Amino acid sequence: MNLRRIKAVALKEWKETTRDRLFLLLAFLLPALWMLVFGYGLVLDVEDIPFAVLDQDHTAMSREYSYRFIQSRYFSYRGHVDDPRALDRLLTKTTIRAALIIPERFEEQLAAGEPVSVQTLLDGTFPLHADIAKGYVIAINQAFTQDLLVDYVSRTRGLAREQGRRIVQPLTVEVRYLYNEEVRSTWSMVPALVMFTLMVASPLLTALSVVREKETGSIYNIYSSTLSRGEFLAGKILPYAAISLVNVWVLWLMAVLVFHVPFKGSLLFFFVGSMLFVFCSAGIGLLVSLLVSTQMAALIITMVVAMLPTILFSGLLVPVSSLGRGAQLQAHFFPAMYYTNIVRGSFLKGVDARVLWLDMAALAVFAIGMGLIAYRLFTKRPNA
Amino acid sequence: MMGEIPLDGRRAARWWRRLAAMTQKEVLQLGRDLPLLVFLLYSFSLSVYISGVGITMQLRNAELLVHDGDHSLSSRELIHRFQPPYFRFKEEVANPREGLRQLDEGAAMVLLDIPPRFHEALAAGESTAVQLLVDTTNAPQGLSAASYGLRIAGQFGSEAGLGSLGLSAPYAAVPMVTSAHRVWFNPNQDETWFQSISHMLRMITVFAVLLPAVALVREKERGTVEQLLVSPLSPFQIMLSKVLAMTAVILICTAIAVYGVLRPLFHVPMKGSAWVFFLLTALHIFTTAGLGLVAATVTRNQAQVGMMTLFVVGPMMMLSGLNSPYESMPGWVQTVMAFSPLRYYIDITYGVLLKGAGFDVLWKPVVTMVLLGGGLFGFGMWRFRRQFE
Repeated sequence: MNLRRIKAVALKEWKETTRDRLFLLLAFLLPALWMLVFGYGLVLDVEDIPFAVLDQDHTAMSREYSYRFIQSRYFSYRGHVDDPRALDRLLTKTTIRAALIIPERFEEQLAAGEPVSVQTLLDGTFPLHADIAKGYVIAINQAFTQDLLVDYVSRTRGLAREQGRRIVQPLTVEVRYLYNEEVRSTWSMVPALVMFTLMVASPLLTALSVVREKETGSIYNIYSSTLSRGEFLAGKILPYAAISLVNVWVLWLMAVLVFHVPFKGSLLFFFVGSMLFVFCSAGIGLLVSLLVSTQMAALIITMVVAMLPTILFSGLLVPVSSLGRGAQLQAHFFPAMYYTNIVRGSFLKGVDARVLWLDMAALAVFAIGMGLIAYRLFTKRPNA
Repeated sequence: MMGEIPLDGRRAARWWRRLAAMTQKEVLQLGRDLPLLVFLLYSFSLSVYISGVGITMQLRNAELLVHDGDHSLSSRELIHRFQPPYFRFKEEVANPREGLRQLDEGAAMVLLDIPPRFHEALAAGESTAVQLLVDTTNAPQGLSAASYGLRIAGQFGSEAGLGSLGLSAPYAAVPMVTSAHRVWFNPNQDETWFQSISHMLRMITVFAVLLPAVALVREKERGTVEQLLVSPLSPFQIMLSKVLAMTAVILICTAIAVYGVLRPLFHVPMKGSAWVFFLLTALHIFTTAGLGLVAATVTRNQAQVGMMTLFVVGPMMMLSGLNSPYESMPGWVQTVMAFSPLRYYIDITYGVLLKGAGFDVLWKPVVTMVLLGGGLFGFGMWRFRRQFE
């Protein structure tokens, strides 16, 4: 390893990058812009579920009941219908995702002290959203039932309403949300977005670095030079890792200043983790670049390899613990998951190396392992 | 744009022959890139399978810690109700501090703290409170866990309350509203269907933007586009041939995903007509390719086009409605995403496959997509001509 030669390769790479204005602009602009767009735009709360009501009872109580849904911020009212078949059509057209069918004799039965079953139709194409909608319906029904019961108990037993309420629901549940006390989805999203943008953007920076030289033939200059394999690879990865490191700072500042996410952990720990992660993600691009022989293949493979596992297996949307076995295994073979733990831990939980040393170690293993694989893959004597 | 297609016999035949030759060249060129082919195949088979089997976004197996300060009949009964698939009982902790430490480490997600005298209070008809501590570093999952917890404890509490009045389940003579749900189109709420189809849509979209865009920029970067322009091909034919070739390739891959994975392995229904599905898939690829072509005309080399398409594809993937419901998104996102073909294609795919919808129901997204595709293609065309004429 000769530092001067590494510097020469890195400098050449750096000049090539800075002379491509559009590329340079996008390299810095893309992570910041994504952060803004996703930070503000990616809302994971399920709200405003469009629904319609089929009221077969037409009484004061059925109206009061359907009002509970209309006024809820979880549902967005799209009108009444008179015919069950109309609901069918609205659900198929995706005009509504839920429908409430209030049966005949709703008021009569409740007034007589009998239970009533209310049917809801849910669009199951998005099972998660159907499940959440089901939860909202049950919660509204529980609240409505409780009010009915308080009335009923205090009327039949001759108790004060307060006393009735205590009898009907003796158990209160105090929920405490930890680490993200107001349960803002921005707080949990933004740290993960730091991971997401780095993971997707930095491999793309390195993806073409080697294959471009293969395609244009300038790689033969390298083959015939005194440059060693390690020097070449180090020179190739350093400028792009530097760009990504600048982006780490930018993203961190945006998270703290623009989105006001608290940073409770240790800065040193976070930046060591980020540095390792940047080398891992840039390394993925470099590996692809070494493996393929056309820029087109390099671009596409890198983009898919970087983007899809990151959306699915990194803990960005779904915690790794609730994945299936195969997917969990796949998640462990991918550096994104470990870095998600480090970022979320540093921002929201304020934990550091004492708790997350294993994640840090895993990233280090990835970075070193990828370097070794790249070293093995790159040869100055291709047989082609 | 369409006006340039000649209508009289011999000239038309020549025009189409040239287009076919160019299209064939694109397919051949793609066919010779072995790593890319292998990867295409993987993306539409194995990776669709993995995401179908592996991913559930519904709350599953949230690790539950319990601090039971009462050790009574009631407390055990309440703990017992926190059941899979939502919760998985991990262990009892000696004190809440130990529980908090485990939450810090991410070893568990929920801590249920039951106070002493819990059973006594319930039996005496007094009110009591349990605490539920939830890790909300992942906000939607945390909220979901809290809402299941509230539902379970609420049910338990009201049964205990009614029990103290001498009433017990099933309640025949108590006024209450119970919920009966019918989930349509996917009655078992099988997430395999949703995740595998979503994954296929993501793949189709990535390839539809990238393949034609890179194919066009590649010719610009190497300078071969100059050769094409002095040949008897029109710019329209050059662009169209690339899109046609890539559409054909992606359609074949989609067929592999549908008939090789979705139908036989996951038993995803095809309620609507398969022809409608593939026709509209072709339309989606065509429209999305329009986005790629626009990106290709503003860039000079493949590195630039890669960044540029990422710029477009990223938000399309995340905000078109595959991850979070489109209706819940902020207004400005909905406005911007009106330009994402994927947003319409999602409704179309789930409509045709799961709901059995046909053109009579889907005409609106279809018309929008045709207009969008025409507009994008026309704009790309205009820029391409201006650059070379």
